[in-house]
Amino acid sequence: MEFKEDKAIFVQIAESIENDILRGIIGEDERAPSTNELSAKYEINPNTAAKSLTLLSNDGILYKKRGVGMFVAEGAKQVILEKRKERFIEEYIAPMTREARLLKLSKDELIKIIEENS
Amino acid sequence: MNRLTCNNLSKVYGKKMVLDGVSLTLEPHRIYGLIGRNGAGKTTLLSLISGQNFADDGEISIDGEPVFENQSALDKICFSREINQTVIFGRDTRKIKHLLRAAEIIFPYWDKEYAAKLVSEFELDANKRIANQSKGMLSAITIVIALASKAPITFLDEPVAGLDVFMRDKFYRLLLEEYNASERTFVVSTHIIDEAANVLEDVIILNDGKIIRSENTDELLSRHRIISGLADDVDEFCKGYKVTHSETLGRSKTVCVEFDDLDKFKADVSKYDFDVSKASLQKLFMNLLG
Repeated sequence: MEFKEDKAIFVQIAESIENDILRGIIGEDERAPSTNELSAKYEINPNTAAKSLTLLSNDGILYKKRGVGMFVAEGAKQVILEKRKERFIEEYIAPMTREARLLKLSKDELIKIIEENS
Repeated sequence: MNRLTCNNLSKVYGKKMVLDGVSLTLEPHRIYGLIGRNGAGKTTLLSLISGQNFADDGEISIDGEPVFENQSALDKICFSREINQTVIFGRDTRKIKHLLRAAEIIFPYWDKEYAAKLVSEFELDANKRIANQSKGMLSAITIVIALASKAPITFLDEPVAGLDVFMRDKFYRLLLEEYNASERTFVVSTHIIDEAANVLEDVIILNDGKIIRSENTDELLSRHRIISGLADDVDEFCKGYKVTHSETLGRSKTVCVEFDDLDKFKADVSKYDFDVSKASLQKLFMNLLG
């Protein structure tokens, strides 16, 4: 995985686990990758990997089974969808409207472009 | 525990102050990156804290025990130095296996089986002579010695110099494997910064014999942003910020700013029409020193 510079690595790893959950690659109540597995897979410091798992468990996407590891929570997909929708504005819409202003595109033109391309 | 502390270290070679009052704590079980330009004092610092060279001033201790000429403290440290094809009197005709045997004697925690595994991982031939090894192979030998030493505190000086991209990848993978399986602390100096950035939990930036930054890599990166926009706007914005680097091109200006409060920065910067980006570790390093 190529990491982007503008986002912390641990956030990017957490998002890639979220993607796996959304795609059904890891199902509910199935074990999520461990710190060491993530560290080896992405060649990152295990503490960074641990941060990703903590982030997901704070959001209620993963839960800890004592002595076994982290598991995907029930309803995790829904939580991820809600969270991603919130971030969609910040990450995609905000930069788009900024660029549109720069290009002097009107609101109507912008809506037209979106309609034509979706 | 194995917490290494050095306090106010200084070293002078001739008239040059190679290290100038360096204070540093290496916490147990972390991977530190030591970065700095050529001649910044990286190797000198590593040789001082591993007791291979003496400081003109300052103290080094592990859990309060002084390191210099103290065998029980020195036993906990491995500084695997760069190996050259030649020694002072000519070609180094020793074989790799001779170096490994010497390492076995020097390092009390030496793991012979692990060393053999590493030799084959790096595709080395233990029966070959040092003088006949390429630069990359010599780097691989220093890596084998450093990892197999099993020393609680291990220093690797430019371990990836001369290694091809596959071998560098192998090194980072093996380093993480060993780190995950042990309680060891590693300090890795390197010039190939971005490649190592995700492996290094903390980064120590050395410049002209002084430590200019020493902190968690993620935090360091998240405290800096590169912004560019209309020069007058950028100047106005920068009034409340510490600028570590600036470049002007016509009426536009690009600066690297440092801050502590990310939310305040975001709020401040949103008032302007700027391009804002996070720097890679290498870019930040260049901005801090350039």
